[in-house]
Amino acid sequence: MSLRFLDLARPSRQHWLGYLLLLPAVALVALIIVYPLFVSLDLSFQKIGMATLSAPRKPFTLENYHKLFASPDFWNSCWVTIKLVVVVSAACFAVGLGTALLVNNRFKGRTLARLFVALPWAVPEVIAVVIFAWIFDSSFGLMNWLFIKLGITSQMINWFSEPTAAFWVVAITMIWKGYPFVSIMTLAGLQSIPEDFYNAAKVDGANAFQRFWYITIPVLMPVLGVTSVLVVLWVFRDLSIIKVLTDGGPLKATQTLSIMTYDQAFGFFNMGYASAIGIVTLVLCVVASLLMLGRKSQAMY
Amino acid sequence: MQRTTLQTLSLYVGLAVVCGVLLFPIYWLFVTALSTLAEIRQLPPSFWPAEPQWSTFAKVGTERPIFLWLWNSTLAALGSVALSMVVSVFAGYSLSRFSVKGGRSLGLFILTAKMLPATLLVIPLFGIFRSMGLIGSLWSLVLAHATLIIPFTTWMLKGYFDTIPRELEQAAMVDGCSPLGALFRVVLPVATPGLAATALYAFVLSWADYAYARTFLTNAQGSWTANLGITTMKGEYVTDWNEISAAAVFIALPIILIYLFLERYLVGGLTAGAEK
Repeated sequence: MSLRFLDLARPSRQHWLGYLLLLPAVALVALIIVYPLFVSLDLSFQKIGMATLSAPRKPFTLENYHKLFASPDFWNSCWVTIKLVVVVSAACFAVGLGTALLVNNRFKGRTLARLFVALPWAVPEVIAVVIFAWIFDSSFGLMNWLFIKLGITSQMINWFSEPTAAFWVVAITMIWKGYPFVSIMTLAGLQSIPEDFYNAAKVDGANAFQRFWYITIPVLMPVLGVTSVLVVLWVFRDLSIIKVLTDGGPLKATQTLSIMTYDQAFGFFNMGYASAIGIVTLVLCVVASLLMLGRKSQAMY
Repeated sequence: MQRTTLQTLSLYVGLAVVCGVLLFPIYWLFVTALSTLAEIRQLPPSFWPAEPQWSTFAKVGTERPIFLWLWNSTLAALGSVALSMVVSVFAGYSLSRFSVKGGRSLGLFILTAKMLPATLLVIPLFGIFRSMGLIGSLWSLVLAHATLIIPFTTWMLKGYFDTIPRELEQAAMVDGCSPLGALFRVVLPVATPGLAATALYAFVLSWADYAYARTFLTNAQGSWTANLGITTMKGEYVTDWNEISAAAVFIALPIILIYLFLERYLVGGLTAGAEK
């Protein structure tokens, strides 16, 4: 009797198996994502330094949020984050789209070229930082030599103590690390376009630009939409590249919201305040991606 | 499409320039690792070392606990991949095959987890792991990396299972297989390439992590992962760039090799849901 009860092969019981198989994922996600998220939200409403779960809950307060919105540091970080998101995403798309179109041509060695064009994708972020920290080294770095050689500057630039320069070093490192993703996604999109489309357009007398504008771009749109959201979110949330490269400096020129959150939490142990910054960042992330996807947000899933 | 010789030539020149510029940083890493300190500090720089210093690799390997760091990275990655794969194989299969009530919204939720800033999650996780006594232990990374990996793997696997015809396991069940038996004996063997690609991708995600390792492991040097360890090699005033580059080669090489040999599968997994 009980065996028949457990007989999941019976059509009427099959959906049970569906739930059962989902259970481990649901449990794990609840434990390591949902619950921590609620803890964060809760922490953001407490005046709390070091977060200990065993300690009694501090009284509810909006102080963290008041302090946050009154802080020039916060607005500076917002501005830095937005600048970085715009610069890095735009450049990633330009380079990624360009390289994808380039290797989508038919030529000998195309497979190898595709492999190479997206290679930086395989380099861990911290290693990318090591490489660019060396290239932009103020004493023996290649970039200073190049700049002097090209006559752009006559003296060594100290890339990491000059706010504008440091911002660009961070941006360039992120662009180099981020463009392959756009390239990979776009290339996959390009390959789903049947050759017939182009042939038919050619018969109708469309020139190369028209073929690109009326066929390639519309077909790529959904892929580009999803990709742009993922790239923007990546820049928005990145910690490792900036943390290791400049640590938010100099003079907070590269302090994004993520860096500010991390430093408040683990540099000054203001866990409550840091959680408030984190929650605001999350809200901004969600709003930004909804705005970008708009009604097409379903396409992402 | 036929091209003129000039077009073909400009295509190749363009490719060479683009690849040259984009891949130069990787080339420079290897060159630096093979150069002497004197070569690194000379102007104009030498773009190929006169005598490649292979001994730098051995030197870094003995003077710094690189291999211990790499081993720790490997353990953390294997652990988080195993945990995530088991969980997301079941979840992905369920999302693909059963019209579970709330399954769709659950799927959406798992995907939303991709949008979470790590810096937000890392704060409560630190508190949780501390009360569990996991700070300084690689187990904290196994759990934390699962938060990064599961949203990806579940969706990659769901997409992969969607491409396998249902008739396959229905036939097996007609032959007397239980639903779970059909999953293990019929579906999973067919899905092996997809499983491998997903697991590799998960491995890459874990291997690249820095934020969680830095937060949970800083006080326990013996458990440092490679990405965390290498950041300690940068000196306050002077950095021996050839040594740090050699260490970086050790860390980057496994992933670069995986990518070069298995690009098709990795990229296939990465772009799975994108074309729809």
